[in-house]
Amino acid sequence: MGNILPKRGRWLLLFAAIFAIGLFAAACGDDDNSSSSKAAGSDKKVTIGFLYVGAVDDGGYNQAAYQGQKAVEKLPNVKVIKAENVPESAEAERVMEQMIQQGATIIFPTSFGHLDPAIKVGAKYPNVIFLHQGGLKTASNVGTYFGASWEANYLAGIAAGKVTKTNKLGYVVAFPISQTLLNINAFQLGAKSVNPAVTTTVVFTANWCDPAKISESVKNLKDQGVDVLNQHQDCPGAGIQAAEKAGIFSVGYHVDDSKLAPNGWLTAATWDWTKLFVDLVNQVRAGTYKVSQIRQSMADGVVKLAPFGKAVPKDVQDQITATQAKILAGTLQIFAGPIKDQSGKERIKAGEKQPEVTSLEQMDYLVEGVVGKIPQ
Amino acid sequence: MTVAATVRARFTGQSLGNLGPVPVSALLRFGAAIAVAMLAFAAIILADGTNPLETLRLMWDASVGTDFGRTEVLVKVIPFGLCALAVAIPARVGLINVGGEGQFYIGAWAAAGAVLYSGAPGWALIPVAFVAGAIGGGAWAGIVALLRVKGKVNEAISSLLLNFVAIQFVNYFVYGPWKDPDGPNWPFSPKFPDAAMLPMVYGDRLSLAILFVAVGLVALFLILRYTRVGYEARVVGGNPLAAERAGIPVGRYLLWALIIGGAVAGIAGMAEVTGIQGRLRPGISVNYGYIGFLAAWLGGHRPLGIVLACLLFGAISVGGDSLQIGLDLPGSTVNILMALILFAVLAGRKNRTKVGA
Amino acid sequence: MNFITAVSTGAVRAGTSVMYASLGEVVAERAGIINLGVEGCMLAGACAGYIATAETGSPYIGIVAAFAAGGLLATIHAFLVVTRGANQLASGLALMFLGLGLTAFFGRPYVKVQITPLKDYAIPGLADLPYVGPVLFEHDVLTYSVFPLAALLWWFVFRSRWGVMLRAVGESTESAFAAGLHPARIQYAAVAFGGALAGLGGAQISLAYTATWVENLTQGRGFIAVALVIFAMWNPLRAMAGALLFGGAVALQLQLQARGVGVSPFLLDMTPYLLTIVVLLVWAQRGRDAFPAGLNKVFRGTG
Repeated sequence: MGNILPKRGRWLLLFAAIFAIGLFAAACGDDDNSSSSKAAGSDKKVTIGFLYVGAVDDGGYNQAAYQGQKAVEKLPNVKVIKAENVPESAEAERVMEQMIQQGATIIFPTSFGHLDPAIKVGAKYPNVIFLHQGGLKTASNVGTYFGASWEANYLAGIAAGKVTKTNKLGYVVAFPISQTLLNINAFQLGAKSVNPAVTTTVVFTANWCDPAKISESVKNLKDQGVDVLNQHQDCPGAGIQAAEKAGIFSVGYHVDDSKLAPNGWLTAATWDWTKLFVDLVNQVRAGTYKVSQIRQSMADGVVKLAPFGKAVPKDVQDQITATQAKILAGTLQIFAGPIKDQSGKERIKAGEKQPEVTSLEQMDYLVEGVVGKIPQ
Repeated sequence: MTVAATVRARFTGQSLGNLGPVPVSALLRFGAAIAVAMLAFAAIILADGTNPLETLRLMWDASVGTDFGRTEVLVKVIPFGLCALAVAIPARVGLINVGGEGQFYIGAWAAAGAVLYSGAPGWALIPVAFVAGAIGGGAWAGIVALLRVKGKVNEAISSLLLNFVAIQFVNYFVYGPWKDPDGPNWPFSPKFPDAAMLPMVYGDRLSLAILFVAVGLVALFLILRYTRVGYEARVVGGNPLAAERAGIPVGRYLLWALIIGGAVAGIAGMAEVTGIQGRLRPGISVNYGYIGFLAAWLGGHRPLGIVLACLLFGAISVGGDSLQIGLDLPGSTVNILMALILFAVLAGRKNRTKVGA
Repeated sequence: MNFITAVSTGAVRAGTSVMYASLGEVVAERAGIINLGVEGCMLAGACAGYIATAETGSPYIGIVAAFAAGGLLATIHAFLVVTRGANQLASGLALMFLGLGLTAFFGRPYVKVQITPLKDYAIPGLADLPYVGPVLFEHDVLTYSVFPLAALLWWFVFRSRWGVMLRAVGESTESAFAAGLHPARIQYAAVAFGGALAGLGGAQISLAYTATWVENLTQGRGFIAVALVIFAMWNPLRAMAGALLFGGAVALQLQLQARGVGVSPFLLDMTPYLLTIVVLLVWAQRGRDAFPAGLNKVFRGTG
């Protein structure tokens, strides 16, 4: 019969033996770890799982969400588990299932691309509640939440429009999803409201966090005359440092990164998820949570404008603060008509009020004054 | 040789024909090497202040100790095993196929195209996707084969290069022409219809494709050992000049071995998108092609060895999640263990004329 | 800044890290050893450099640490291949996984740490030259060094006595040994040096280009370097050109995007690899002549 195991495979025999013993022992032992996924009452210990697409100290998106996780950890009778660097593919399914195996009954998939995997896993575990950050559709046990960061970006746009000397702003973004487009458009609109000559050049990196690509994009933009940088990236730190090095102004995102750019920092749209996360968890525990697409705004405190840098003159700061008050009061609507897209076509007609959030989130165009195309 | 004679020879260190002596001490030496790898891994974990025993226990629990874990290990064995076959088949004729990754992607692309755009009726979607995946992967490897046979370009190099081309090729489609128009401008294809999804044999992630692996391995074994084609292939692999003199069409064997290998990797890609992902998207392979290469090498390009190597790598891979969730270690940490085991085996085998000896 | 200058400047910026890695791999492959784990060595250099800089406050110490880390990692490969006769492809791939895992593991606490990065120095006078100025004369110290390094290595490989020894070992270790050389020592040195240079390439990304560290920072640049070595037909100057081509493709893509031109970045990303295959096909004979014969051992399929 001859040799069916190669010489190299001898050690594998050893390993296989160990493996088999392990299997046997496990099969005989108590291996039923698929914990019951009962919805816990608010007085029983509840396990909550958080998924992040990057590192929780990325100085950006994931870090902001992590602050929310920390607030949840302070709740009584709560155990929190987390997984970082979870890809936005079927890999996320396995991670979520492992969390459920460990008893999680509430899961927060925090990255946009985690939605599909969450819905798939959710179908299998109807008693687990999934609270997805930024998703645009729901399932029977999958709800979403997000915040109107574009309101803060409009205000940042005012700062940019005022301090720019070249009238060229830049935006380095990852994917052309509607949240990104809303941010870009609001930024341009805000800048234009104080400086009609201004344009915003957009670069897509197709990656939530690739520092080398971001740095290259920033330097490239600078070479084209851009002197204010904004970003829609998970880890804006690299870009802000590149902007500072290149001597241009920078607007941050997700967190206050002003330390990175002592000279060029303007402001940022930052998140404060702490209150919302705690509210959601309490609702789920009390059984009062209804699956929905929660959208909060600056008025709810989920979006905040970071403190101004010294590069923003006092009178501009005052103007922004006044404008912010108008937005909070509802007297200023950023996306009220007329809003024209890059081809000049009127997308929101003159005289029309700002559409509802659900409608805004269908946005698939860039407004006029934005340079660069949505990649097809 | 009879089975009894084989076993006797194995344990007494007698020569097994042209396969060399097989001393029992080799088994012990390899076992020791593995133990050393585990110890080195434990030391590294300890250096960071984490408990290595806890680490290994968590990994074990997550991969072997639960029903879910064991199923997930088998789910990993599908791409690992098929990509290993994609390396092993050409290896038998003496070719090095490092292109499993690219053949996987093109197979997935072709299968997605078949599912979404071929217009085939529901019942036919899976067979059509299967054939498309095989053709896609096979054609991609065919390029490598042609480059080798006609252009004398080394296949290891060209297959490696084509991996990256394939990844960008798929990216182009999911960001562009095949992007889901109903989606939020997110780079993935439309969702596959349910009829196109492979049926599950256990749980809801272990698909029929596990049988592809089994069939493939068994077929490889039987063909190599019991058919003339297998015999001639082994001659080509062992001594191409002798094969040519014996009248064996060497060029044809080289060409077809690569194409079939590529086809198997393409089927792996098909299995991934119709069994797990449900769409075509970037990042469907997490280095499956390279892990398959290592598994094939570790398993001596033989069926049983490949199975064991894939199980091992699968367990390590699945164990990684638990490190993340339970110990706050990066999931990528398990790559260290995998690499150390490979190093241990690589170092333990002294089989070349030493340079300058 | 005009289009060409912008693309050229971008080419230099983006190409430097890959250039270091390919130059290093040219030396290693000239000795007859291929290292698929260049990615791991780049990551090791990037991470070690970052950690050292964070701990000591000096990016120059970081450069030294990066050089050492890349070299050490590559030495594992050299040991396995030269002393234990292991399969070079398997060993290289294993090295890549080791680099990925080790750097993710040890770099984890440093993701949030800020460092003082390498500064860009504009050479006074030269930097103000129109067109050429910003392209060549406004960079960090690692980028400045890589061009003379390429020239130096070219001289080393093709014009120096040590280069002759290196290439002799790469052609045939038996003949080199018979001629009185120590092939093993030379191969160890070449591979370690290659890894060390790859480490410098990684450091350029973490210490100068981005001033950050995240898991898998290099995103496959190590493999691009391996491809470029073949494209360059084992010639350091051609490797330099190849790396600039790669950097140029990256910069071009961004420039086109920003100008609203709809060229798919993915098709552009394919070009270094496709070009290499074309080069292999077209210059088949010259390629085979340049091919260090010792590498045949790797590609014979019996390893």
